[in-house]
Amino acid sequence: MAAAARLAEEWFAICGGCEVTILDIGEPLIDVLKKVEIVHMPVIMDHKLFGQTGENKEMEIPAADVGLISGGIRSDEHKKLAIEMRKKCKILISLGSCACFGGIPALNNLYTTEEIFQKVYRDSVSTESNGLPNEEIPALTDRVYAVHEVVKVDAYLPGCPTTPEMVTNALVSILEGKPLPALPAKSVCDECPTKREKKAVSTLKRRFEAPEFTPGAPLTEMRCLMEQGFLCLGPATRAGCSGSDGTPRCIRAYMPCEGCFGPLSEKANPMVDMMGALSSIGLDPKQIPDRAATFNRFAGAGRLRPTPKR
Amino acid sequence: MEVNTVPTTAGAEVAPPAETFQPLIIALCCNWCSYAGADLAGVSRIQYPPSIRMVRVMCSGMVHPNLVIEALTKGADGVLMCGCHPGDCHYQEGNLKAEKRAEAIKLMLADFGLEEERFRLEWVSAAEGPRFAQVVRDFTEQIQKLGPSPYKP
Repeated sequence: MAAAARLAEEWFAICGGCEVTILDIGEPLIDVLKKVEIVHMPVIMDHKLFGQTGENKEMEIPAADVGLISGGIRSDEHKKLAIEMRKKCKILISLGSCACFGGIPALNNLYTTEEIFQKVYRDSVSTESNGLPNEEIPALTDRVYAVHEVVKVDAYLPGCPTTPEMVTNALVSILEGKPLPALPAKSVCDECPTKREKKAVSTLKRRFEAPEFTPGAPLTEMRCLMEQGFLCLGPATRAGCSGSDGTPRCIRAYMPCEGCFGPLSEKANPMVDMMGALSSIGLDPKQIPDRAATFNRFAGAGRLRPTPKR
Repeated sequence: MEVNTVPTTAGAEVAPPAETFQPLIIALCCNWCSYAGADLAGVSRIQYPPSIRMVRVMCSGMVHPNLVIEALTKGADGVLMCGCHPGDCHYQEGNLKAEKRAEAIKLMLADFGLEEERFRLEWVSAAEGPRFAQVVRDFTEQIQKLGPSPYKP
């Protein structure tokens, strides 16, 4: 048997859900783990960055064949670690939407760091107003960055969380020496089986209201959720969550798409696309309370910025 | 200089002061009414400012907001969208779709730090050559008051 591939994993501004997805791979994980040697993964193993007794001055990650990074870059520490990961890993993969486009933490980009500090450490009603923490913690970056904005990334596995199938496919391709699977260029709507007539049948609804469908009937008989008045980010979101099932994940659960697979291209602006899509079928775009954040929920890095003061 | 002469009304050419801001306006005109209207303004030799760059589209209903936003964020000072009068659309209700999208576009301009007035939707029929010229004159004047787009390179 060939030598096991060395795997390093690092997590930045993230909830940890994408690491759970690796566990969620289930039985195929047993086969993958036989061929993989995990050399660094803070979530499951004790490997310290400054050496096991803190004897080093610089953070160090052991050399690896594959590096996985989950989470966006929010602090100087994340930035340094991302650069270190890039140096030590032959293939670097962004795992999950936070690493790919900033994810939920990148909603922070709507505010300046000063505004955030003011709110969190002073204005929040449940906060006892003390000084700002300034010792022994890494400084925040000016905004949340996606990993590829800081270092070169070889492959992206978006999703919030990403799908076990995608992680398995990527790891197996690397182990077999095959090229990494590319992301589809289609939108979620292209894969969505629901009925579309390009006309809304309702005004905008809140997402907690129930859509109309016949339980048990195939999805092809359900009316498009956006035409039913739900904010579905399908038109501005990359396909891929469906995997081998063929039906987008949220639609399978009769829920509108949240947009976690990110925009259709690097330069796309999901807010503009979605406002266009909504108004085209006759929904009132004025009713959306916070369009920038709603339509860039997972894609804030490089897209969301504090509102210009006029 | 010849480039700076702005013909304001038919026949009467006025040379403006050299520093007059000459806006760059993208005009998206539908094939069936507005483009023909603009053509009529041309063949009737009606004078209007040389501020517009016209793009012929098959229907105002095919202009997605991202095209307008992209034009404005890449240096255009204004975007003029012209379509058939409501009820006259060659594709029945393309212009009504455009009207709904116009609302979304105006909302978003603020998000991009732009004035709402930099975008205008106008109905111009194939017979309304003089009206087309008037619309361009008005819009150019409006943009001149607003000044150059902050996105101008």
